[in-house]
Amino acid sequence: MTDLLQYEMNRETAWCPGCGNFSIRRALVKALAELDLSPEQVTLFTGIGQAAKMPHYIRVNAFNGLHGRALPAALGMRIANPDMKVIVESGDGDTYGEGGNHLLHNIRRNPDISHLVHNNQIYGLTKGQASPTSEYVLKTAVQPGGVKSDPFNPVLFAVAMKASFVARASVTEEEHLKEMIKAAINHKGYALIDILQPCVTFNRINTYQWYSERVYKLEEDYNPADWTAALKKAAEWGERIPIGIIYKEEKATFREKIGHLKESKILAGKRVEPAEREYLLDEFR
Amino acid sequence: MEKRLMKGNEAIAEAAIRAGCRYFFGYPITPQNEIPEYMALHLPQYGGVFLQAESEVSAINMVYGAAGAGARVMTSSSSPGISLKMEGISYIAAAELPCVIVNMMRGGPGLGGIQPSQADYFQAVKGGGHGDYHMTVLAPASVQEAFDLTMEAFEIADYYRNPVMILGDGVIGQMMEGVVLREPVKLEELKEKEWATDGAVNREPNIINSLFLDAVKLEEHNLKLKAKYDLMREREARAELYKMDDAEYAVVAYGTSARISRSAVDEARKKGIRVGLIRPVSLFPFPEKIIRSTIAKTRTYLVVEMSLGQMIEDLKLALNGKRPVCFYGRTGGILPLVDEILESIELMRRGEGIEADCCLS
Ligand SMILES: Cc1ncc(C[n+]2csc(CCOP(=O)(O)OP(=O)(O)O)c2C)c(N)n1
Ligand SMILES: [Mg+2]
Repeated sequence: MTDLLQYEMNRETAWCPGCGNFSIRRALVKALAELDLSPEQVTLFTGIGQAAKMPHYIRVNAFNGLHGRALPAALGMRIANPDMKVIVESGDGDTYGEGGNHLLHNIRRNPDISHLVHNNQIYGLTKGQASPTSEYVLKTAVQPGGVKSDPFNPVLFAVAMKASFVARASVTEEEHLKEMIKAAINHKGYALIDILQPCVTFNRINTYQWYSERVYKLEEDYNPADWTAALKKAAEWGERIPIGIIYKEEKATFREKIGHLKESKILAGKRVEPAEREYLLDEFR
Repeated sequence: MEKRLMKGNEAIAEAAIRAGCRYFFGYPITPQNEIPEYMALHLPQYGGVFLQAESEVSAINMVYGAAGAGARVMTSSSSPGISLKMEGISYIAAAELPCVIVNMMRGGPGLGGIQPSQADYFQAVKGGGHGDYHMTVLAPASVQEAFDLTMEAFEIADYYRNPVMILGDGVIGQMMEGVVLREPVKLEELKEKEWATDGAVNREPNIINSLFLDAVKLEEHNLKLKAKYDLMREREARAELYKMDDAEYAVVAYGTSARISRSAVDEARKKGIRVGLIRPVSLFPFPEKIIRSTIAKTRTYLVVEMSLGQMIEDLKLALNGKRPVCFYGRTGGILPLVDEILESIELMRRGEGIEADCCLS
């Protein structure tokens, strides 16, 4: 196990006291340490938002990109570098709103990327506007009469598309969340975890209590390989909200589907013997 | 006449509603959130709709559709979001549709910061998206002017069938001043848009389009657009001249940096320096003629911008080498200070700092 101190998770943050992001940071760091992934083996990709500040608040390789565009950037690295553990972290607005289209297409491609969505059902950084997962009853300065669109269920969407790993977790169950992150990182292919997370400042509906009263862990005998059962489970939302691995299917990853990428190495890792490049010098002789 | 204490962002939103804008499509971003908030609160009272889109790309295309339907429509954002709108704006300009777009500029490039900036000047006045086109660009320097220019923007947009941009920054958007509110326009008195796709009855259907596969036709279309821009250059160019009557030296600045420059000009006058302020109000069309009219008396020009120097290029084109130009700029969200501008004015008078950049701190 890697020493937790290496990840420097005590860095100062701009998150509000009591923010669910602290639990996610702890769970992520513990998951990395238990998997013995040291900081240099991991790159964290994010978009923009409170969730997306994560790469500034722990010590791993960091890529803080555009709002909504973490996934395409992560895919770029995934293709160019087969060795790195690529993790995407972003908010619900970032992932399901601005970047919604990218989610769909990454599920189709199935790159080996773990995707942790901090779903606080609100736009936190911009001070509280409805997000795609906000409930009808949520009122904000720009939705004074509540939200007028159906809330998006990312888990149902991903299961319907047969994404290779779909899980839901909640910061109210931090140990379970850590296990979900470990499972996602160990999974070969695209792994989505929708993480329920209260926004203590701007979302007065989906509070710690709201989530605690509703989430329950999947039954022991639940079979995530059963797609029809998974669809039913994924559709469950409201009074009872299931957490755990809802659907899982082994599939070829994007790199595996592109035959010649299997053997490719990153440039930085390539060893070139001087003798092999003699011919370049010959040109000057 | 009604007078109200308002933030710049609120004044813009109120002006839009009074100009007959009933549809607003936006996406949250700092520092312009008061515009969507105002629209969300007030538009329903007028039978209008505020809609928070899933992205800026989506919002500008909603504007495209509503403008095509003949409605007065607006969107607003800040720098990174405006970049995303550029694709749609190019199409809207090509399809000759009127709409109003507000950019409350923040520091860039990339995500940058959220402090006030004027670094999107090039993007605003040179087109911004692809192709041979221009938006009309208006730059308010007070809350009153933000109100007035927004009301006018809808008239200009309709008249020329062209997108109009209100270019401000966090200072203009957030500061509070008294505003004299003009009477609302009467929607039923607006000129009919016979080009709109509003349901063809007893006529051929209208088509909103920017596709011209035949190069000859496309060139014809671009020349038609150019004729509109030329007409704007003739009629819509405007600038405020302040203490320019006897000015040997001129500061040229727009928006927030012009407000600060005005104080610097007053300070310099106290020291006996004959300096004035030229404040472009329309950035496209750039007030070239007005600026050239000052050449007879003015020896040197100092451009002050909250960028590393963008409008300076248009000033140099306008002066066409006839007068030297100095520059002072702050970037990244920092405001130029009165003392700093005053120092640049003194440098200019001593004949120093003539090359662009050398007054830069
Ligand atoms: C192109 C662009 N549009 C808008 C923004 C403003 N913005 C920053 S974060 C954000 C959404 C934040 O919500 P979410 O993704 O749910 O993250 P949270 O802050 O809730 O963790 C928005 C709209 C931006 N930075 N860039
Ligand atoms: Mg959020």
